Amino acid sequence: MPQTSHSPTTFTLAGTAEGLRAMMPLIPGLFVFAMAFGAAAAQKGLTLVEASLFSAMVFAGLAQMVALEGWTQHWSVTALLTLGLLTMAVNTRHVLMAAALRPWFAPLPAWQSYGALLLLADNNWALAMRYRTQGGSDAGYFVGAGFITWLFWVIGTAAGHVVGGGIPDPKQVGIDVVVPAFFIAILIPNWKGRREAVGWGVAAAVAIGVSFVLPGWWFIVIGALAGALAGGFTDER
Amino acid sequence: MSAELGTLLAISVMALATVFNRAAGFFLMRLVPITPRVRRVLDALPGALLVALLAPGAVRGDRGMIAGLVAAVLVARFLRSDILAVVAAMVAAAAVRFFWP
Repeated sequence: MPQTSHSPTTFTLAGTAEGLRAMMPLIPGLFVFAMAFGAAAAQKGLTLVEASLFSAMVFAGLAQMVALEGWTQHWSVTALLTLGLLTMAVNTRHVLMAAALRPWFAPLPAWQSYGALLLLADNNWALAMRYRTQGGSDAGYFVGAGFITWLFWVIGTAAGHVVGGGIPDPKQVGIDVVVPAFFIAILIPNWKGRREAVGWGVAAAVAIGVSFVLPGWWFIVIGALAGALAGGFTDER
Repeated sequence: MSAELGTLLAISVMALATVFNRAAGFFLMRLVPITPRVRRVLDALPGALLVALLAPGAVRGDRGMIAGLVAAVLVARFLRSDILAVVAAMVAAAAVRFFWP
Protein backbone atom coordinates (compact mmCIF):
# COMPACT_ATOMS: atom_id res chain seq x y z
CA MET A 1 0.00 0.00 0.00
CA PRO A 2 1.49 3.37 -0.90
CA GLN A 3 2.21 5.42 2.20
CA THR A 4 2.76 9.16 2.09
CA SER A 5 6.43 9.50 2.94
CA HIS A 6 7.52 12.56 4.85
CA SER A 7 10.91 14.19 5.09
CA PRO A 8 12.23 14.61 8.67
CA THR A 9 10.27 17.05 10.83
CA THR A 10 11.61 20.61 10.76
CA PHE A 11 10.58 23.83 12.46
CA THR A 12 11.41 26.87 10.36
CA LEU A 13 10.39 30.49 10.09
CA ALA A 14 9.47 29.97 6.43
CA GLY A 15 7.07 27.18 7.44
CA THR A 16 5.59 29.42 10.14
CA ALA A 17 4.97 32.16 7.58
CA GLU A 18 3.36 29.65 5.21
CA GLY A 19 0.96 28.43 7.92
CA LEU A 20 0.16 32.00 8.88
CA ARG A 21 -0.73 32.86 5.28
CA ALA A 22 -2.78 29.69 4.78
CA MET A 23 -4.92 30.62 7.79
CA MET A 24 -5.84 34.08 6.43
CA PRO A 25 -9.08 33.05 4.62
CA LEU A 26 -10.64 32.18 7.95
CA ILE A 27 -9.45 35.18 9.95
CA PRO A 28 -12.32 37.59 9.13
CA GLY A 29 -14.97 35.02 10.05
CA LEU A 30 -13.06 34.01 13.17
CA PHE A 31 -12.74 37.64 14.18
CA VAL A 32 -16.52 38.06 14.09
CA PHE A 33 -16.94 34.94 16.26
CA ALA A 34 -14.41 36.36 18.70
CA MET A 35 -16.37 39.63 18.76
CA ALA A 36 -19.56 37.71 19.48
CA PHE A 37 -17.81 36.06 22.43
CA GLY A 38 -16.44 39.39 23.66
CA ALA A 39 -19.89 40.96 23.53
CA ALA A 40 -21.45 37.98 25.35
CA ALA A 41 -18.71 38.16 27.99
CA ALA A 42 -19.46 41.85 28.51
CA GLN A 43 -23.12 41.03 29.04
CA LYS A 44 -22.14 38.47 31.69
CA GLY A 45 -20.28 41.19 33.56
CA LEU A 46 -16.68 40.34 32.65
CA THR A 47 -14.39 43.34 32.37
CA LEU A 48 -12.36 44.03 29.23
CA VAL A 49 -9.22 42.67 30.91
CA GLU A 50 -11.01 39.55 32.14
CA ALA A 51 -12.57 38.80 28.74
CA SER A 52 -9.26 39.29 26.92
CA LEU A 53 -7.37 37.13 29.45
CA PHE A 54 -10.11 34.50 29.09
CA SER A 55 -9.54 34.20 25.34
CA ALA A 56 -5.74 34.48 25.62
CA MET A 57 -5.39 31.80 28.31
CA VAL A 58 -8.12 29.34 27.36
CA PHE A 59 -8.19 29.75 23.55
CA ALA A 60 -11.06 27.32 23.00
CA GLY A 61 -14.11 28.98 21.50
CA LEU A 62 -16.66 26.25 22.05
CA ALA A 63 -15.68 25.67 25.69
CA GLN A 64 -15.62 29.42 26.35
CA MET A 65 -19.12 29.88 24.95
CA VAL A 66 -20.42 26.92 26.95
CA ALA A 67 -18.77 28.11 30.17
CA LEU A 68 -20.16 31.59 29.71
CA GLU A 69 -23.70 30.17 29.77
CA GLY A 70 -23.25 29.24 33.41
CA TRP A 71 -20.92 32.09 34.37
CA THR A 72 -21.32 33.48 37.88
CA GLN A 73 -19.85 36.21 40.06
CA HIS A 74 -19.15 33.89 42.98
CA TRP A 75 -17.03 30.80 42.42
CA SER A 76 -17.25 28.04 45.03
CA VAL A 77 -14.76 25.16 44.98
CA THR A 78 -17.50 22.89 43.67
CA ALA A 79 -18.36 25.34 40.90
CA LEU A 80 -14.69 25.58 39.90
CA LEU A 81 -14.32 21.79 39.80
CA THR A 82 -17.47 21.48 37.71
CA LEU A 83 -16.14 24.13 35.36
CA GLY A 84 -12.86 22.23 34.96
CA LEU A 85 -14.64 18.96 34.20
CA LEU A 86 -17.07 20.66 31.81
CA THR A 87 -14.13 22.22 29.95
CA MET A 88 -12.36 18.89 29.65
CA ALA A 89 -15.54 17.19 28.46
CA VAL A 90 -16.32 19.81 25.81
CA ASN A 91 -12.71 19.71 24.59
CA THR A 92 -12.18 15.95 24.67
CA ARG A 93 -11.61 16.17 20.92
CA HIS A 94 -8.33 17.98 21.65
CA VAL A 95 -7.00 14.72 23.12
CA LEU A 96 -7.63 12.97 19.80
CA MET A 97 -6.31 15.90 17.79
CA ALA A 98 -3.07 16.00 19.78
CA ALA A 99 -2.71 12.22 19.45
CA ALA A 100 -2.88 12.55 15.66
CA LEU A 101 0.03 15.02 15.81
CA ARG A 102 2.33 12.49 17.55
CA PRO A 103 3.97 10.95 14.44
CA TRP A 104 4.68 14.45 13.12
CA PHE A 105 5.85 16.26 16.28
CA ALA A 106 7.54 13.35 18.10
CA PRO A 107 11.06 14.12 16.75
CA LEU A 108 10.92 17.69 18.10
CA PRO A 109 12.34 18.62 21.51
CA ALA A 110 9.64 18.57 24.18
CA TRP A 111 9.56 22.34 24.66
CA GLN A 112 8.79 22.74 20.95
CA SER A 113 6.20 19.98 20.64
CA TYR A 114 4.33 20.81 23.86
CA GLY A 115 4.76 24.51 23.22
CA ALA A 116 3.18 24.08 19.78
CA LEU A 117 0.33 22.08 21.32
CA LEU A 118 -0.67 25.11 23.42
CA LEU A 119 -1.85 26.60 20.10
CA LEU A 120 -4.02 23.60 19.26
CA ALA A 121 -7.47 24.63 18.02
CA ASP A 122 -9.90 23.09 15.54
CA ASN A 123 -9.14 25.29 12.55
CA ASN A 124 -5.36 25.41 12.57
CA TRP A 125 -5.20 21.70 13.42
CA ALA A 126 -7.45 20.84 10.48
CA LEU A 127 -5.41 23.04 8.16
CA ALA A 128 -2.10 21.60 9.39
CA MET A 129 -3.33 18.02 9.05
CA ARG A 130 -4.18 18.66 5.41
CA TYR A 131 -0.70 20.13 4.91
CA ARG A 132 0.70 16.99 6.54
CA THR A 133 -1.41 14.70 4.33
CA GLN A 134 -0.03 16.50 1.31
CA GLY A 135 3.50 15.69 2.42
CA GLY A 136 4.38 18.71 4.60
CA SER A 137 6.80 18.22 7.49
CA ASP A 138 7.48 21.71 8.88
CA ALA A 139 5.94 22.03 12.37
CA GLY A 140 6.19 25.80 11.94
CA TYR A 141 3.16 25.56 9.64
CA PHE A 142 1.02 24.47 12.60
CA VAL A 143 2.50 27.13 14.88
CA GLY A 144 2.06 29.95 12.34
CA ALA A 145 -1.57 29.02 11.68
CA GLY A 146 -2.17 28.63 15.44
CA PHE A 147 -0.51 31.89 16.38
CA ILE A 148 -2.50 34.03 13.93
CA THR A 149 -5.70 32.31 15.08
CA TRP A 150 -4.86 32.97 18.74
CA LEU A 151 -3.92 36.60 18.03
CA PHE A 152 -7.16 37.44 16.26
CA TRP A 153 -9.19 35.43 18.75
CA VAL A 154 -7.87 37.70 21.54
CA ILE A 155 -8.09 40.97 19.58
CA GLY A 156 -11.60 40.08 18.38
CA THR A 157 -12.71 39.32 21.94
CA ALA A 158 -11.48 42.71 23.12
CA ALA A 159 -13.09 44.46 20.14
CA GLY A 160 -16.41 42.70 20.76
CA HIS A 161 -16.29 43.66 24.44
CA VAL A 162 -15.76 47.31 23.51
CA VAL A 163 -18.37 47.42 20.73
CA GLY A 164 -20.90 45.46 22.79
CA GLY A 165 -24.34 45.06 21.29
CA GLY A 166 -23.61 46.71 17.93
CA ILE A 167 -22.54 43.46 16.26
CA PRO A 168 -24.60 42.22 13.30
CA ASP A 169 -26.52 38.98 13.73
CA PRO A 170 -23.97 36.35 12.60
CA LYS A 171 -26.68 34.31 10.88
CA GLN A 172 -27.99 37.15 8.76
CA VAL A 173 -24.64 37.78 7.08
CA GLY A 174 -23.79 34.09 6.84
CA ILE A 175 -21.00 34.11 9.43
CA ASP A 176 -22.27 30.88 10.99
CA VAL A 177 -21.36 28.93 7.83
CA VAL A 178 -17.77 30.20 7.74
CA VAL A 179 -16.22 27.49 9.91
CA PRO A 180 -18.24 24.57 8.45
CA ALA A 181 -17.36 25.80 4.93
CA PHE A 182 -13.68 26.00 5.86
CA PHE A 183 -13.82 22.44 7.21
CA ILE A 184 -15.40 21.30 3.94
CA ALA A 185 -12.67 23.05 1.93
CA ILE A 186 -10.12 21.13 4.01
CA LEU A 187 -11.96 17.81 3.70
CA ILE A 188 -12.57 17.73 -0.05
CA PRO A 189 -8.91 17.37 -1.19
CA ASN A 190 -8.49 14.55 1.37
CA TRP A 191 -11.06 12.41 -0.43
CA LYS A 192 -9.22 9.53 -2.01
CA GLY A 193 -11.77 6.76 -2.19
CA ARG A 194 -13.00 3.73 -0.31
CA ARG A 195 -11.32 4.42 3.02
CA GLU A 196 -12.73 7.95 3.16
CA ALA A 197 -16.17 6.79 2.10
CA VAL A 198 -16.26 4.28 4.96
CA GLY A 199 -14.55 6.47 7.59
CA TRP A 200 -16.51 9.63 6.86
CA GLY A 201 -19.79 7.77 6.43
CA VAL A 202 -19.41 6.05 9.80
CA ALA A 203 -18.28 9.31 11.46
CA ALA A 204 -21.33 11.18 10.11
CA ALA A 205 -23.83 8.45 10.97
CA VAL A 206 -22.47 7.90 14.49
CA ALA A 207 -22.12 11.63 15.24
CA ILE A 208 -25.67 12.35 14.07
CA GLY A 209 -27.04 9.36 16.00
CA VAL A 210 -25.18 10.26 19.20
CA SER A 211 -26.21 13.92 18.92
CA PHE A 212 -29.84 12.84 19.22
CA VAL A 213 -29.19 10.49 22.15
CA LEU A 214 -26.53 12.05 24.38
CA PRO A 215 -26.51 15.64 25.65
CA GLY A 216 -23.53 17.91 25.12
CA TRP A 217 -20.65 17.45 22.74
CA TRP A 218 -19.96 13.74 23.03
CA PHE A 219 -21.03 13.27 19.42
CA ILE A 220 -17.76 14.82 18.24
CA VAL A 221 -15.42 12.42 20.02
CA ILE A 222 -17.56 9.30 19.63
CA GLY A 223 -18.22 10.02 15.94
CA ALA A 224 -14.54 10.82 15.29
CA LEU A 225 -13.30 7.65 17.02
CA ALA A 226 -15.82 5.44 15.23
CA GLY A 227 -14.95 7.01 11.87
CA ALA A 228 -11.17 6.82 12.42
CA LEU A 229 -11.37 3.15 13.42
CA ALA A 230 -13.68 2.30 10.52
CA GLY A 231 -11.46 4.18 8.07
CA GLY A 232 -8.23 2.84 9.53
CA PHE A 233 -9.43 -0.75 9.34
CA THR A 234 -10.68 -0.38 5.79
CA ASP A 235 -8.00 -1.67 3.49
CA GLU A 236 -7.73 -0.28 0.02
CA ARG A 237 -7.90 -2.86 -2.67
CA MET B 1 -9.71 47.96 33.89
CA SER B 2 -9.72 45.28 36.50
CA ALA B 3 -9.98 41.60 37.08
CA GLU B 4 -11.68 39.94 40.01
CA LEU B 5 -10.02 37.07 41.88
CA GLY B 6 -12.88 34.58 41.48
CA THR B 7 -13.11 35.26 37.76
CA LEU B 8 -9.36 34.87 37.36
CA LEU B 9 -9.52 31.57 39.25
CA ALA B 10 -12.29 30.31 36.98
CA ILE B 11 -10.35 31.32 33.86
CA SER B 12 -7.21 29.65 35.23
CA VAL B 13 -9.10 26.43 35.92
CA MET B 14 -10.35 26.41 32.33
CA ALA B 15 -6.86 27.17 31.01
CA LEU B 16 -5.42 24.25 33.01
CA ALA B 17 -8.15 21.92 31.76
CA THR B 18 -7.57 22.83 28.11
CA VAL B 19 -3.78 22.56 28.42
CA PHE B 20 -4.22 19.16 30.06
CA ASN B 21 -6.36 17.93 27.14
CA ARG B 22 -3.94 19.30 24.55
CA ALA B 23 -0.92 17.67 26.19
CA ALA B 24 -2.59 14.39 27.23
CA GLY B 25 -3.31 13.02 23.77
CA PHE B 26 0.21 13.71 22.58
CA PHE B 27 1.76 12.29 25.75
CA LEU B 28 -0.37 9.13 25.80
CA MET B 29 0.57 8.29 22.22
CA ARG B 30 4.13 7.78 23.51
CA LEU B 31 2.89 4.57 25.05
CA VAL B 32 1.22 3.36 21.86
CA PRO B 33 3.55 1.77 19.33
CA ILE B 34 2.92 3.35 15.91
CA THR B 35 2.27 0.20 13.90
CA PRO B 36 1.07 0.56 10.29
CA ARG B 37 -2.46 -0.11 11.56
CA VAL B 38 -2.25 2.57 14.26
CA ARG B 39 -0.88 4.98 11.68
CA ARG B 40 -3.80 4.29 9.35
CA VAL B 41 -6.25 4.97 12.16
CA LEU B 42 -4.41 8.21 13.01
CA ASP B 43 -4.39 9.14 9.31
CA ALA B 44 -8.14 8.57 9.14
CA LEU B 45 -8.76 10.64 12.28
CA PRO B 46 -8.65 14.22 10.92
CA GLY B 47 -11.28 13.60 8.24
CA ALA B 48 -13.49 11.62 10.61
CA LEU B 49 -13.26 14.31 13.30
CA LEU B 50 -14.18 17.11 10.90
CA VAL B 51 -17.11 15.10 9.55
CA ALA B 52 -18.26 14.36 13.11
CA LEU B 53 -18.06 18.07 13.96
CA LEU B 54 -19.99 19.06 10.83
CA ALA B 55 -22.67 16.43 10.33
CA PRO B 56 -25.05 17.03 13.28
CA GLY B 57 -25.13 20.79 12.61
CA ALA B 58 -25.68 20.20 8.91
CA VAL B 59 -28.71 17.93 9.37
CA ARG B 60 -30.23 20.44 11.80
CA GLY B 61 -29.31 23.44 9.65
CA ASP B 62 -31.78 25.82 8.03
CA ARG B 63 -32.02 26.38 4.25
CA GLY B 64 -29.27 28.99 4.44
CA MET B 65 -26.85 26.61 6.15
CA ILE B 66 -27.59 23.86 3.60
CA ALA B 67 -27.10 26.28 0.69
CA GLY B 68 -23.82 27.49 2.19
CA LEU B 69 -22.48 23.98 2.68
CA VAL B 70 -23.45 22.91 -0.85
CA ALA B 71 -21.73 26.01 -2.24
CA ALA B 72 -18.61 25.18 -0.19
CA VAL B 73 -18.53 21.60 -1.50
CA LEU B 74 -18.85 22.75 -5.13
CA VAL B 75 -16.27 25.52 -4.88
CA ALA B 76 -13.81 23.37 -2.93
CA ARG B 77 -14.23 20.53 -5.41
CA PHE B 78 -13.85 22.53 -8.61
CA LEU B 79 -11.87 25.64 -7.68
CA ARG B 80 -9.75 24.16 -4.85
CA SER B 81 -9.63 27.39 -2.90
CA ASP B 82 -10.26 27.80 0.84
CA ILE B 83 -11.04 31.48 0.65
CA LEU B 84 -13.44 31.14 -2.30
CA ALA B 85 -15.21 28.24 -0.58
CA VAL B 86 -15.73 30.33 2.56
CA VAL B 87 -16.89 33.41 0.63
CA ALA B 88 -19.23 31.41 -1.62
CA ALA B 89 -20.75 29.71 1.44
CA MET B 90 -21.37 33.04 3.19
CA VAL B 91 -22.89 34.62 0.09
CA ALA B 92 -25.11 31.58 -0.56
CA ALA B 93 -26.29 31.40 3.05
CA ALA B 94 -26.94 35.13 3.34
CA ALA B 95 -28.74 35.25 -0.04
CA VAL B 96 -31.00 32.29 0.70
CA ARG B 97 -31.87 33.70 4.13
CA PHE B 98 -32.60 37.12 2.63
CA PHE B 99 -34.73 36.01 -0.33
CA TRP B 100 -36.29 32.93 1.20
CA PRO B 101 -36.43 33.44 4.95
